[in-house]
Amino acid sequence: MGKIDACREPRGRRASRSKIEPYRMRRLLPFLAAMGLSWVGWAACNAETIQARHARVELVSQQVNIVPAQQLLLGVHFVLEKHWHIYWTNPGDSGQPPVLQWQLPSGLSAGAIEWPRPEKLQRSSLADYGYQDDIVLLVPVRVASGLKDGDKVDLRRQAKWLICADVCIPDHAELHLSLPVASTPEHNQNQKALFAEAGKRLPQPWPHSWKASVVSGKDDFVLSISAGKPISAAEFFPLMPEQIENAAPQPLQTTPAGAKIILKKSDQLLKPVHLLKGLLVLGGAESYMVEAPVTPIRSGEQNK
Amino acid sequence: MKTLTRTMFHITLFWLLVGMGTALAAKVGDPAPGFTANDSNGKTHRLSEYKGKYVVLEWHNQGCPYTRKHYESGNMQRLQKEWTGKGIVWFTVISSAPGTQGYVTAPEENDYVKKMNAVPTAVLLDPDGSLGHLYAARTTPHMYIIDPHGVLVYNGAIDDHPTSDASDIPGSKNYVSAALQEAMSGRKVTEAATRPYGCSVKYKD
Repeated sequence: MGKIDACREPRGRRASRSKIEPYRMRRLLPFLAAMGLSWVGWAACNAETIQARHARVELVSQQVNIVPAQQLLLGVHFVLEKHWHIYWTNPGDSGQPPVLQWQLPSGLSAGAIEWPRPEKLQRSSLADYGYQDDIVLLVPVRVASGLKDGDKVDLRRQAKWLICADVCIPDHAELHLSLPVASTPEHNQNQKALFAEAGKRLPQPWPHSWKASVVSGKDDFVLSISAGKPISAAEFFPLMPEQIENAAPQPLQTTPAGAKIILKKSDQLLKPVHLLKGLLVLGGAESYMVEAPVTPIRSGEQNK
Repeated sequence: MKTLTRTMFHITLFWLLVGMGTALAAKVGDPAPGFTANDSNGKTHRLSEYKGKYVVLEWHNQGCPYTRKHYESGNMQRLQKEWTGKGIVWFTVISSAPGTQGYVTAPEENDYVKKMNAVPTAVLLDPDGSLGHLYAARTTPHMYIIDPHGVLVYNGAIDDHPTSDASDIPGSKNYVSAALQEAMSGRKVTEAATRPYGCSVKYKD
């Protein structure tokens, strides 16, 4: 693993589908310098891209500066080699989610990872939940009011992750980014598309008018969704492990107001579940956080 | 009419799938699925031969970082030594398909066992994955405990730290030891089903 100056061509192999923005930054630099905006370039170029095993990783910021008392949105951007994947918060049948440990100066505190919608990665009888190709893990950072204009803030994070293809490799990196403190926020134009794309992959809150409930049978949960419109394709990703069989198909019955989805119970589920939490992905793109209360099936209703 | 027929078909299919039970499973509290398997010394083992004894199954892949965590630290060998010393049958099971990580021939496995000072009762070779699928083994390691009546009393992780970092072992709760201690003293296993962690078992596709 080697550190790469984000403003220079990385040494060694360069992934052809790379969307890492600093390369664009490099092309923009002369232009920015000519406009007397070289500090913008300086700020953005203080990000390092790490060439890790089968992935490139960098810490990215939505803004080129930090504004006291305003939230800052950071992201950990993974560009993965073809066939390699990392994991969602519930990794499924195997694997392990990435862990971020922040070292932030006083006045800054990082929130939890905002997990993007995962993909179901199925192989043989097993299914994992994770990410391939290009993914940004967004992390909001609270900024206190005490920071002084013009100060430079060093943001560091130690990341540990498991990357797998046919085999798995645990990896880690320390990434850093320096941003100046300013009184008005300025968005990093070079990361605009990346953050917009990352935002689109975040699950939406469950709409108020929609309803979700679960009937718990002997071997299955039947998740009923009422959304005021027929749903023809949906996939449920459980937030908690060991509740459903990850690799089982999820047969769906479209209803006039939504859908019923069958989720096969995990053999590892020994205690009753009162609330089924997860992500409902509709039509492969829209995703919603769902929390459905679970009621046991009434006797005699099984399999009718 | 065509739409109605299709709808009827879908509804039938839906409830048919609802009704499908768990055909193959290793569920805690149920009788453990019986099996016959060959070990790395060419000996055949039948689960039924071991009625009256506790049997531990340990899914294994010597190249997997999570397996290596427990072997390079000596943790797995300590467990094997401790529990086989108390009369328990310990089967290491390898379900990696030929050409995948962790697949070994019998002599290669015997060399590995010797080199690592591993002391399982036997290493069962399962290159076609039938034993793995019978138990729905997902990860390496993935641990199972079968009681003297042939009932599955534990299914899950080796411990409560799902990482590949050996420095986590001293602070971990070992679920296998805890379950064996409880079961052998006649108590109910408190944590009988946990999420196994590690690499996926490298079944043939």
